[in-house]
Amino acid sequence: MSDEEPSLNIPSLLTLAVVSYFVIRWFFNRDESAAGGSRGRGRGNVVDPAQVEQIAQMFPQLSTRDIMWDLQRNGGSVAATTERILTGRGLETPPPSFQPQVAIPPTNIPPTQTATAASAPKADAQDLISRYNLSAKAESPPAESHSEVPSKSTWSQNKEERQRILQKRRDDMILAARRKMMQKNLGDAQ
Amino acid sequence: MASTVAQKRLFHEYKNLSTNPPEGITAGPVSEDDMFYWEALIQGPEETPFEGGVFAAELKFPRDYPLSPPTMKFIGGGVWHPNVYPNGTVCISILHPPGDDPNHYEHASERWSPIQSVEKILISVMSMLAEPNDESPANVEAAKMWRERRAEYEQKVRDEVKKGLGL
Repeated sequence: MSDEEPSLNIPSLLTLAVVSYFVIRWFFNRDESAAGGSRGRGRGNVVDPAQVEQIAQMFPQLSTRDIMWDLQRNGGSVAATTERILTGRGLETPPPSFQPQVAIPPTNIPPTQTATAASAPKADAQDLISRYNLSAKAESPPAESHSEVPSKSTWSQNKEERQRILQKRRDDMILAARRKMMQKNLGDAQ
Repeated sequence: MASTVAQKRLFHEYKNLSTNPPEGITAGPVSEDDMFYWEALIQGPEETPFEGGVFAAELKFPRDYPLSPPTMKFIGGGVWHPNVYPNGTVCISILHPPGDDPNHYEHASERWSPIQSVEKILISVMSMLAEPNDESPANVEAAKMWRERRAEYEQKVRDEVKKGLGL
């Protein structure tokens, strides 16, 4: 009789494998969506860095790892962790296997890196006329700006005035160089 | 405490540079609210391909200035030079703190010390534009072009100079 009812056969093993595959997949997907969506309260190993920071500021003597461990175990409650510390129970040392996953907003990191790498040189490759908004002055006749040249080598006791003088010296220097270069170009062309 | 010393010193240097500016140099803080961040303009030295150009650079001072040197970076691009990194950062001995010379080719006297100044840095950078230092280049591509294809290098510099002036 027992030969006719084997406890394990191939179809049942297959079924078990398929079912467990889906169960595991569902379990991990749920963790991921929890981490991306809400603050991952008590689900998986996700800890909100803002909460950790908040507690670490109140109790700088505690290790971040201990704080993360406690937050993760009580489901991300700052109040519960704070109370635990204040009542003198202290925080438990997490097991060595504890690998805190910090819920850093995933959008933050890659874009800043690519942005500085890719767009910075472009933003930099800007001429001085547009950088200092000199396009209007660059078009105007040179005689006008020449009349105020004495502002060179002066020093004012007034902060705004100093700022203005510096800006003027800078603008004059760029515009003078531009005019000179234009004249030279004209000379070369003829 | 250290930062007030730095601020005073930077203010003093700003005043000197304003009342007695060296030829072809304009420099000062972008805003006096932050004395640690300056912008400078340097004229291209004469009889070099940089002649006629004006180059803008930012200077960032450390809190312990003048013990440590500032960093200097050309902005607006256009400085194609063996001693200027492609991102604009200037690499010359006066901007290196003493004791920080892995290559052992710079004399201690050339490097940064508190008796140097913003003015000396800017003058050094001006002469660097005229005479690149071929040892340990910051822009390898530019250094190679300077060494092997001088005419092409000079043409590229002249083009960048014009571009920088919006021409």
